[in-house]
Amino acid sequence: MITKEKNKRYIYTTAVLFILSSATLTSCRKNLLETVPQTTISEVNAYTTPEKILGGVYDLYKKLQNAQYYGGKYIIYNELRGEEFGQNDGNANVGALIWGQNPLSTAGQVQDLWNAAYASINSANLLIKNVSTTNVISSPLREQYVAEAKFVRALNYLALVQTFAKPFNADNGASLGVPLRLNGETSTGNNDLVRSTVAQVYAQIIKDLDDAEANLPAAYSSNIQNASRAHKATAIALKTRVYLVKADYTNVIKEAAKLVPAVAPYQYTSGAVTHKLEANVASVFTGTYVGGETLFSVLFNTDDSPDVQSALGAYYFVSVVSPLAPAGILSDPALSGVASTDARKGLLGTKSGQKVLLKFPKAGAPYTDYIAVIRYAEVLLDYAEAAAEKDDLGTALSLLNAVRKRSDPTYVFPAADVTLKPNLIATILKERRIELLGEGLRTPDLQRRLQPLPSKTGAVGTAPAVPITASNYIWPIPSDEISTNKLAVPNP
Amino acid sequence: MHPPGPKSTKQASNLASAPVSIHQFKIQNKSMKKIAVKDSPGPGKTGLPFIKKSFISLIYLTLFILPFTIQAQDTKAQINSTLRGHITDATTKEDLVGVSVQIKGTTHGVTTDKEGRFDFVTGQKFPYTLIVTYIGYEKLELVVNGSPVEIQLKSDLKELDQVVITGYSTLSKKAYSGSVAQVKASQLENRSAQSFDQLLGGQAAGVDIVQPSGVLNNTPVFRVRGINSISSGIYPLILVDGVPLFTGLVGGTVANNPLSSINTNDIESINILKDASATAIYGSRAANGVVVVTTKKGKKGKTRVSYDAWASVSSARNLPPLLNAFDYTTIKNEAMVNAGKDPGYKLQTRSDGSIVNTNWYDVAFHKAYSQSHNLSIAGATDATNYFVSLGYQDQNGIVRTNTFKNSLVRLNLDHKLLNNVTIGVNFSYNNSLNGGPNTGSLPGQYLDGGALGRSTNVLPPNVAVYNEDGSYNFQDKSRMGYGANNADASSNGYIGTINTENLQLILDKDKYTSETNNAIGNLYAQWTITKGLDFKTTYGVNRLSVENQRFQNPINGAAAPSGGSAGNAYIKNYRTNWVNTLQYSTAIAERHHFNILAGAEDIYTSSASWGATRTGLTDNFFTSYQGSFTTITPANNSQGENGFRSLFSNFNYDFDRKYLLSYSFRRDGYSGLAEGHKYGNFSGGSVGWNISEESFYKNLDLAKTVNTIQIRASYGQVGNLNIGDYPALGFYSGTTYAGTAALRFAQAGNPNLQWETSKKTDVGLKIGLFNNRIVLDADYYNNVVDGLILDAKQAPSKGVPGNSIKANVGSLYNKGIELGLTAQVINNDKFQWETSINFSTLQNKVTALSDGIDIYTPSTFGIQNMTRVGYSVGSIYAVPSVGVNPANGYRIFVNAKGQQVQYNQAGASKWTFLDGTPAPAIDNYLDGKIQGSSLPTYYGGFNNTFRAYGFDLNLGFTFSGGNKLYNGTRANLLDQRYFNNGTFVKDRWTTPGQITDVPKLIYADNVSTGFSITNTSVVEDGSYVKLKNAALGYRIPLEKVSNGKLTALRLYVQASNIFTITNYRGSDPEISINGNSIASGKDHNSVPNATTITFGANLNF
Repeated sequence: MITKEKNKRYIYTTAVLFILSSATLTSCRKNLLETVPQTTISEVNAYTTPEKILGGVYDLYKKLQNAQYYGGKYIIYNELRGEEFGQNDGNANVGALIWGQNPLSTAGQVQDLWNAAYASINSANLLIKNVSTTNVISSPLREQYVAEAKFVRALNYLALVQTFAKPFNADNGASLGVPLRLNGETSTGNNDLVRSTVAQVYAQIIKDLDDAEANLPAAYSSNIQNASRAHKATAIALKTRVYLVKADYTNVIKEAAKLVPAVAPYQYTSGAVTHKLEANVASVFTGTYVGGETLFSVLFNTDDSPDVQSALGAYYFVSVVSPLAPAGILSDPALSGVASTDARKGLLGTKSGQKVLLKFPKAGAPYTDYIAVIRYAEVLLDYAEAAAEKDDLGTALSLLNAVRKRSDPTYVFPAADVTLKPNLIATILKERRIELLGEGLRTPDLQRRLQPLPSKTGAVGTAPAVPITASNYIWPIPSDEISTNKLAVPNP
Repeated sequence: MHPPGPKSTKQASNLASAPVSIHQFKIQNKSMKKIAVKDSPGPGKTGLPFIKKSFISLIYLTLFILPFTIQAQDTKAQINSTLRGHITDATTKEDLVGVSVQIKGTTHGVTTDKEGRFDFVTGQKFPYTLIVTYIGYEKLELVVNGSPVEIQLKSDLKELDQVVITGYSTLSKKAYSGSVAQVKASQLENRSAQSFDQLLGGQAAGVDIVQPSGVLNNTPVFRVRGINSISSGIYPLILVDGVPLFTGLVGGTVANNPLSSINTNDIESINILKDASATAIYGSRAANGVVVVTTKKGKKGKTRVSYDAWASVSSARNLPPLLNAFDYTTIKNEAMVNAGKDPGYKLQTRSDGSIVNTNWYDVAFHKAYSQSHNLSIAGATDATNYFVSLGYQDQNGIVRTNTFKNSLVRLNLDHKLLNNVTIGVNFSYNNSLNGGPNTGSLPGQYLDGGALGRSTNVLPPNVAVYNEDGSYNFQDKSRMGYGANNADASSNGYIGTINTENLQLILDKDKYTSETNNAIGNLYAQWTITKGLDFKTTYGVNRLSVENQRFQNPINGAAAPSGGSAGNAYIKNYRTNWVNTLQYSTAIAERHHFNILAGAEDIYTSSASWGATRTGLTDNFFTSYQGSFTTITPANNSQGENGFRSLFSNFNYDFDRKYLLSYSFRRDGYSGLAEGHKYGNFSGGSVGWNISEESFYKNLDLAKTVNTIQIRASYGQVGNLNIGDYPALGFYSGTTYAGTAALRFAQAGNPNLQWETSKKTDVGLKIGLFNNRIVLDADYYNNVVDGLILDAKQAPSKGVPGNSIKANVGSLYNKGIELGLTAQVINNDKFQWETSINFSTLQNKVTALSDGIDIYTPSTFGIQNMTRVGYSVGSIYAVPSVGVNPANGYRIFVNAKGQQVQYNQAGASKWTFLDGTPAPAIDNYLDGKIQGSSLPTYYGGFNNTFRAYGFDLNLGFTFSGGNKLYNGTRANLLDQRYFNNGTFVKDRWTTPGQITDVPKLIYADNVSTGFSITNTSVVEDGSYVKLKNAALGYRIPLEKVSNGKLTALRLYVQASNIFTITNYRGSDPEISINGNSIASGKDHNSVPNATTITFGANLNF
């Protein structure tokens, strides 16, 4: 049997063995507790090389490309709330509730849009915060990147304030707007922030766009970058839209004049970039997307194309979720007149007995059609409307004709439509509906003019008219914001 | 080789059982017997699971065997008689090896050989009294009058509970004061299932299992004492032979539960550790309970070959009745007219004059046949014991094309290398192939358009599956054909888009599979350094590989507009754990028993996956990912790793089995936490008092009735941090924007993140009556979780990824009582009835959240679950509805101000007060209210076994209640689009003054129905009692027929999900559309659980 000494020795040996084996075990994976992710970059390193910073810049645009946002759904919702499109599909996911003017604070559509816009704003805020002081890149580049971020931030706040707040023109921006987040957020806290007024939000948008204009380059080194990255002309063009929303026609004219010469041919050239109406409207949508008409587009390729419930092409004509409503602008002779030779009529098609929009012509996935967010035709029409409002009817008509005659060169507006100021303005507004059909401007155009959202009938029922006083004239602040931001009050 | 036969069987059995039957228990059934045999001691072999075998041997040796073996030494004596005998199990008739046989009043004893035989040559003359003892069996004294004798031993049920296996060690239950639920093999076997966890429902107190749907191999909801976390993992830690397993859902579109890699037939026992004392040894991973699974070992004696097989038939149960084509057209046209449209629905007449009336349930469901085969061979020699098994299952689900094929092998081997060194291996490998359609019954899937559960409920019954020429009926790539319904979009009777595919075509052409290869094993060596001191090193591996494949056809369906699509994803999970333990057990002065364990463990886990999606078939011929496509995009790519480094110890002490003391400590380091927070300390302790062991008590009269009384209490802190590899880190991830490199903010980090702490308190009482014929276990538990890791909701306007940051900012508790009662109600030779009841209550309450911010997920379907301070986790949430306005048929909601607001889909103002003036729209969040707990507040099981004349009957009930369910299926079945409706829609409002709960039908309305805004009209009581399992078996005594070659043949018929008593109006109140999450209690077009009838046989050689 084992003696006491032996016993002791055994215990001793075992203890040593135990320690040894633990040591072996430890050395086996020295860094067991020091794992480093292989597929992500720590936030402390995210702005440490020129390439990473440029990656952050491209993320600004990537955020806009979100399928719930400028990548599709935001544009669709702005059309669905108007009267140009019907709704065949009762599925809430493709916007049946939105078409039916039934936005719910808990609905995915409402949440997703808010989330996408603010994610993009934070991306811009983080870039501004991290790049403003960096030495990794040259100072002009630094300022340019910050300017790009400010442009994106402005575009986001415009989408938010137009969707979730009362129109500026209803009360000169006195109503509650949205929380103005101007600092990059990476940690807990700061949940509570009041909603700034509509006027304050617009002031910030204009400030950002002025800053952007100052520091953005006139042009980039490639046409595709000119089409997809903010440059001086982009910031100016967006300002024409913003001032028009505020009915600040003087400033619309001031900004538009930077891009549009006093007399035809209307064309803007600065450095390597030229913006003008392309000869054929169809080529804006089906060509190389770099013909110069586009001041800002959202790009896609196979890897990041939108899904079938968000892609504009799928929505407008492949699935035909929303065909053109017969009572909408489709009824205008330019689009449905038998004799019409308007090129824009050629952007329409027929499917299952319905008229459908073919502007985004990819007939199947991947839906890689670029989406024009701002194009020269809109700037001309912004300018025309402001000029008409400011009684410069000649300039207004000339700009209007530029847009119309691009698609229908022989067309002459009846004098009754263009002679008197109110008629001319109505004609310009109608031209916007024809020219910009399906591009997501209809609801903002109705609301800046303080018009009700029109009633309509579709396959999934009817949607009554929504007067400006109704609670569903604008969208509710999403329930997630209300439940987390104690200072955010719901829309009445 | 046949020994001298008994005088006669009858006589022999009389000899064995007659004098002692009154106080003897019969063994339950075959599987119980296995356990009993397992516990039998043989020289150098305990038959217990490998873990701490030597230690257990010592304990047993000391406590039980030594007295007999010492006495059993032969003494030289004059030969006066020769006795030969054969000892078998009274129930199973199997030979018992190593049984002690001793002549009363002498020191003369022998043990039985491997055929259960013994020879006695003794100086005693007949008659004399034999004392027969055997671990796990009742001690028997009998008078023998001559040779040979046939002796039958009856198993001693109370002996079966003798050990608790905690993973790192095995402890005597009598000396154990933690709270553990034990499930025996017999409670699981012979039941048709895909994984053992599915079978645990109703089997143990404190364990709540919800089988979420009738989809094969769906991972059940598994809760031990409630929900103990919110954002962190809520699944218990599962260990098989000490190896921590991967758990969850790994199949992508189809269900695939990695626990199906464990062959239920291989399981010896399951110990579910519940309180802090029991779980603290697992430290940071223990908050949700620990499930310790032990697999079988070989036993000495004749090599045992078992073959178990069953075949089953399953059918869908209690599908909600839907409208036929005739009622459908009437109802839908009424809704269209009410919406100001023209009727658009028409019956379709075929050329032979028949009317199209499609039952889509027939397309989706069928009677499904399954089979299972299992072969095991087990045996042992003095040095080696082995258990090998082979399993094969070919199961078919009630959903067409839902299949599950599983092949499993296992090898368990222990070998005594040296006198004091044992090595061993436990290894299992399986290959399973899960196939089926997108059923819509897995978490997150119910939203999917083409999901089968949705398709059956929305597809119009007045359209045909096939056109008359035999081709599929569809239109427009992604939609069902219109049939005779109005498809003219320019007409006022246009019914709109049918946004659903032809289900038959989808079932025929689309294919989803998930294939698993899972190797689980460990290798150990144990060195008994000196008596009572053991060193053990164990290296465990779990290598889980999963390949998920998807093919969607280019003709009709979600992928048809893209020209067809295929996706493959390959997922590699790899985990190793290396444990070194040193254990010392000793007894001082015979009454102080110590057991001290110290150990170190490293666990390393890596997970990586890669894959891609291909779209646009270049030719319709192709049907797999490897075919030819026009585009490819990356998908399912991920890579990560984590590590735990731990030190742990356990101290157990008891004084004379009367006073029990236990303490465990573990220090865990986790790679995913920031520097300074990596380590956490966890500990738990318990005390117990076996009052019935006190001599003063034994002298009481009460002791004759109440023979066991134990009280115990425990407290401790364990942790939880099941939140991924890099929870503390803020990081960016690479992406591309139209092909250009981009870098996006992907996770907001929290360097202060720490472990969740679960403080568990437990007070328990155990009472045994009538020699433990009735045993009652009662526990009170209270788990308080602090520093709860939340995906703390951030204001979405902050724009941080996911609008959340992980932080330790919440608290909750789970408390309740657990009662377990087992009783031998009737126990005589002819008839036995055993019953066990377990009953648990649960009170779950959230006491703190980050800034008090509610946790919920808004969606297209409104808000069903709300986690709010003061209520239970994931409570059911809905806007109050007071029913349907008898005046106009509109549903009336009550807003937060208490005002009644009605909804009219066709109104100029959709929301109005009852006087018709416009009202603010109902807001699901602001106007909603918590309707009740989604977690059962009580649950349990009631199991009965009856045995007579070779028959055995098992009846297992489960029950659960006190919870609310959101019946989203009913909301769906009232939807006023083209969706089909439940037959209950016939009660819709049509006439002023009519009282009904079904509102006026208005086309396109999905608000009044509870679909877009949750309302209380479909919030229902989820209480139920279910006859979950019934089995009738007959044991054919084959020994004589086969000359002992076959030892047993049992035939049985078994049924599961037989009936349910409930007020719930859906298919089955046992439901979970959201899987193991805090969003419980929602039903939405889920595939109901199947009713299954199984025929089986167990054959032993």
